[in-house]
Amino acid sequence: MIRFMLRRIGLGGVSIVGASIVIFVISRLTGDPIVLLLPVDAPPAVIEEMRRTMGLDLPLWRQYLIFAQHAILGDFGNSYRWQTPALDLVLQRLPATILLACAGLLFSISLAVPLGILSAVYRGSWIDTFGKGFAMLGQSMPGFWVGLLMILVFSVHLGWLPAFGHGTAKHLVMPAIALGWYPVAAQTRIVRSAMLDVLDSDYIRMGRSLGTPEWLLVCKYAFRNAAIPLVTMLGVYFAAMLGGAFVVEVVFAWPGLGRTVVEAVFARDFPVVQAGVLLTSVLFVTANLLVDLSYGVIDPRIRHAD
Amino acid sequence: MKMTRKTIIYSTLAAVLSFLTCLSSAQSVKPATGDLTIAFAAEATTLDPVKYSAGVDTYFIGQMFEQLVRPDPSQKRINWLAESWNVVESNGKAVIDVRIRKGVKFHNGDPLTSRDFEFSQKRLADAKQSRWSHLQASVERFEVIDDHHFKIHFKEGDGSYIADNLHLWAMPKAYFEKVGEEGFAKSPVGTGPWKFVSRSIKEELKLEAFDDYWNKTIRPTVKNLTIKVIPEDLTRVAAFKTGAVDWIDAVPPAMIAEFKKLPGVKTATVVSGNNLFIDFAEHVPNSPWQDVRVRLAAAHAVDVDAIVKAVLFDQGERYVQVGKGGVGYDPSLKPYPYDLNKARDLLRQAGYPRGFDTNCYNLTTPREPNVKEMGEAVFAYLTAAGIRCKVQGLEYGAWINLGRRGRNGPPEMDGVISWMWGQGVPGDPGTPWAGHLHSFVAGKGWGSYSYANDPELDGMIEEAKRTMEPSKRELILQRIGKLKHERVLGGLTTYRPLVTIAWRDKVDYTPWPWPGFWRNLQQIGLKQ
Amino acid sequence: MQTERTLGGGLPPALRAGVLRRLLGQGIPWGSLTVLLLLIIAAIGGETLAPWDPNALNLANVFKPPAWHANGSFAHLLGTDNLGRDIFSRIIAGARVSVTVALYVIVLSGGVGSFIGLIAGFFGGVVDAVLMRLADIQMSIPSLALALVMAVVLDPSFTTVVIVIVITYWTWYARIVRSEVLSLKERDYVALARVAGCSNATILRRHLLPNVANTLLVLATLQVGQVIVFEASLSFLGLGIQQPDVSWGLMLADARSYMTHAWWLITLPGVAIMLTCLASNLVGDWLRDTLDPRRKQR
Repeated sequence: MIRFMLRRIGLGGVSIVGASIVIFVISRLTGDPIVLLLPVDAPPAVIEEMRRTMGLDLPLWRQYLIFAQHAILGDFGNSYRWQTPALDLVLQRLPATILLACAGLLFSISLAVPLGILSAVYRGSWIDTFGKGFAMLGQSMPGFWVGLLMILVFSVHLGWLPAFGHGTAKHLVMPAIALGWYPVAAQTRIVRSAMLDVLDSDYIRMGRSLGTPEWLLVCKYAFRNAAIPLVTMLGVYFAAMLGGAFVVEVVFAWPGLGRTVVEAVFARDFPVVQAGVLLTSVLFVTANLLVDLSYGVIDPRIRHAD
Repeated sequence: MKMTRKTIIYSTLAAVLSFLTCLSSAQSVKPATGDLTIAFAAEATTLDPVKYSAGVDTYFIGQMFEQLVRPDPSQKRINWLAESWNVVESNGKAVIDVRIRKGVKFHNGDPLTSRDFEFSQKRLADAKQSRWSHLQASVERFEVIDDHHFKIHFKEGDGSYIADNLHLWAMPKAYFEKVGEEGFAKSPVGTGPWKFVSRSIKEELKLEAFDDYWNKTIRPTVKNLTIKVIPEDLTRVAAFKTGAVDWIDAVPPAMIAEFKKLPGVKTATVVSGNNLFIDFAEHVPNSPWQDVRVRLAAAHAVDVDAIVKAVLFDQGERYVQVGKGGVGYDPSLKPYPYDLNKARDLLRQAGYPRGFDTNCYNLTTPREPNVKEMGEAVFAYLTAAGIRCKVQGLEYGAWINLGRRGRNGPPEMDGVISWMWGQGVPGDPGTPWAGHLHSFVAGKGWGSYSYANDPELDGMIEEAKRTMEPSKRELILQRIGKLKHERVLGGLTTYRPLVTIAWRDKVDYTPWPWPGFWRNLQQIGLKQ
Repeated sequence: MQTERTLGGGLPPALRAGVLRRLLGQGIPWGSLTVLLLLIIAAIGGETLAPWDPNALNLANVFKPPAWHANGSFAHLLGTDNLGRDIFSRIIAGARVSVTVALYVIVLSGGVGSFIGLIAGFFGGVVDAVLMRLADIQMSIPSLALALVMAVVLDPSFTTVVIVIVITYWTWYARIVRSEVLSLKERDYVALARVAGCSNATILRRHLLPNVANTLLVLATLQVGQVIVFEASLSFLGLGIQQPDVSWGLMLADARSYMTHAWWLITLPGVAIMLTCLASNLVGDWLRDTLDPRRKQR
């Protein structure tokens, strides 16, 4: 068991280091940040001086080592654009993204669970079809478009909800819906199929024959078992929310990590891109790790495969 | 009471004294009160005057720092921190002789002296700290004569010094030496009407009116100012409409008509300091663009007026070489008329009866409103005339890198590019033309974004740079403008974007053009 | 729980016929197939079908609403945008781009991914470890972040979009193929086949391919929608398809500034995306329900 966990954590670590190299190299290939930081008519001597000061004239592998050396200690350097520590900028905005991801996840689960249960219980009926259809529709509409439509209807025309920004619960509603919309279909399917499995099982049938009311069977006993696959996948879904947050944050001007990274990519602000993407990778890997570990706990066969 | 002589003297003295006290208190300024929240569409990346690189950065710097000279609301240049100044000749070399005002204080109470300007000039010239050191290259030495009198000695004439408000920002030497560069950037201190309070990156800047500000008549009358940063158009407009902010700077062009009709709202539409144009790859060997007839054909092929009207919602002012009111403005130069037949004819004359294909590079990042759509429209007009555009969209970083001369590798700007280089307000083309009209000279800083190669124009541009006498310099610039127009070099000028500022009736506001490209809150307050 | 194939190779004819019957008996999603067919037609014949040149500007005709609106006209069925371009023609042009991107991506990522999975599973050992770690590293970077950075490096264009999305999706195919190969290696009949003199290639073709083909096909169909949404997101952010190519995502990005002026600009391209994804998802589900013998009929 311990070996399994250690192995998994080790692999996660390798992934993160690998991710840092990939992002480091690729972001440095995006172009010259110096020209963007100086006035248009700055002469070449000034540009070279700045390049030297920022250490961008060293060979790539040396730049990476310097970066890694500092990164381990938590120093990602100063943002080229804002001249403040990159990690600070990114960490300040992390809570907003996590809040958004959690809200999105909450929204999707609160739709998927009832839909899945109802679809399973009333299998084959119009409720089932409706549930599947609704979920399917969700999977067909890109999150950012749903967001744009909601802004059009609820902000521009009806004026009920604020179009952008953050601060109150009202600001969270539309971004959460736009983010959580997509995985509803997959989650509904999982809940439904898990429920169907359980509802057919012996002990539920026994409960039925003993006279327990149907609704109690469904909500209390069946659901508890059906929830297991959903719960174990929560980590994966949270990670997916983090990924999807990038675009939703841009649409809603949500002051989170994703939007900061997108802006930094455009501004060739390497330190912020590195810090932001690495941080997200760490969260990603951790979430997936937790899922794997929980599977390992639940299903001993998995520990020994691979 | 018997009126003794003593009583008369004392009562007269008392009367005179109280009269004088009343007089002096009428001279002293009423302290600023109240709170005001406004919104900018873009924000500065730095608060340190030597570290700014784009016009946007002056939005914040301009509230706290001042220069020797500045344009007033009618764009006429007036002395500001300088009481008087002139250019003199000394041993055949140029010298700017400056006398600064007395009684000017920094936000921390230190008095402004010549030493502070000496410090400022040295800092600006230091390539390790400043991004503008190349503009100080012609300064030989800074001579302090006394606390309020100094002279700047030049190795050679430098017209840009005159054009750019004498360059120098008033920065506090003692304070800087105490807190260091980082401390200064975190907590800047200047002589401006606003004192720095706090800043939250990407969110807001908080300022407080400086009570000891030197100018007693032209100053803000509201005490606490919060500048929110709201780049999204819809949000900014919504914030204004709901009253969350009472002043916004860039009303989106599509909504300006609506804003002008809003009750209780005032607007001001001003010309921003940016100048947009279309440039051609005359430097590529055997390119059709080397032929002046082809460039002229392109000039006649684009209907700039229609584009400004339909794509920019009329938020652009057409300019020909130099904008109206700028140094070197020549009212006799008329824009190339839109004439499709003439364009096709010129192409035929140049040997392209069936037109030709060319790469057209468009900026997609909205550095100016609708710049992407404007570019698309221009390229569509060119295509209609036979100059078939293969349009390529570039975001800002890629666009800057493509346009720049002297890089080591591909890609090469080999066709048409939508470009911009601000001449400022009121407008001076000296530095911009040195950058996109003078031929490219590696290592010297000339023509860093230029594709032209005209020795006659080069000579005139260099002469203009050396000339410090304003009327002589203006004549040279006018001559350059004429030749530039005839030869269609350094780009086809299109328009200067207009920017609309909106504020509620309860706000008392007068727009000042600089520093900050109209985002200057020199005179703002709440009506009583 | 796999359906075992006979040693002689290939599917028994009876089973093959059964597949077709199952497909037909399942309830063909006619609507979705029609939509997909329309898309493919648009992709192939787009330029001739569209009433206007999708990039033709007409500054005198900006912001015309769709035909059913008061100010609309049938000359521009779905209205015009801020530069007077016809929306209907642009949607058709966008269909062409979306379908082409999706096809390229699926074929390439399927091909590259399957190949890598094959190598990894077949050779095992260090090769497998390295390739799988590569996949892990890639999956640990949020796909959009990686795509963004790569798009900037490679300069956004049609080719870049394809490359970027292929890099994002290859891991799915690799994993499936790899696990199939691994489980195949354990099977007795494969060892027997080798003893009998069958080359590796024959084994792969006869035993691996049939097992894996169905799963890959289902995955591919389901991914069409995902790829289209991904491409739309990239284009929306400005790093995907560039002008003069037309992309639905790009149309949505352009429409953002005019939400208050012209609702049709922000809704219609999204509807196109939605219908395409819906169609591909329904078809994918249909294929999965019939072709994948592991699925219980529910």
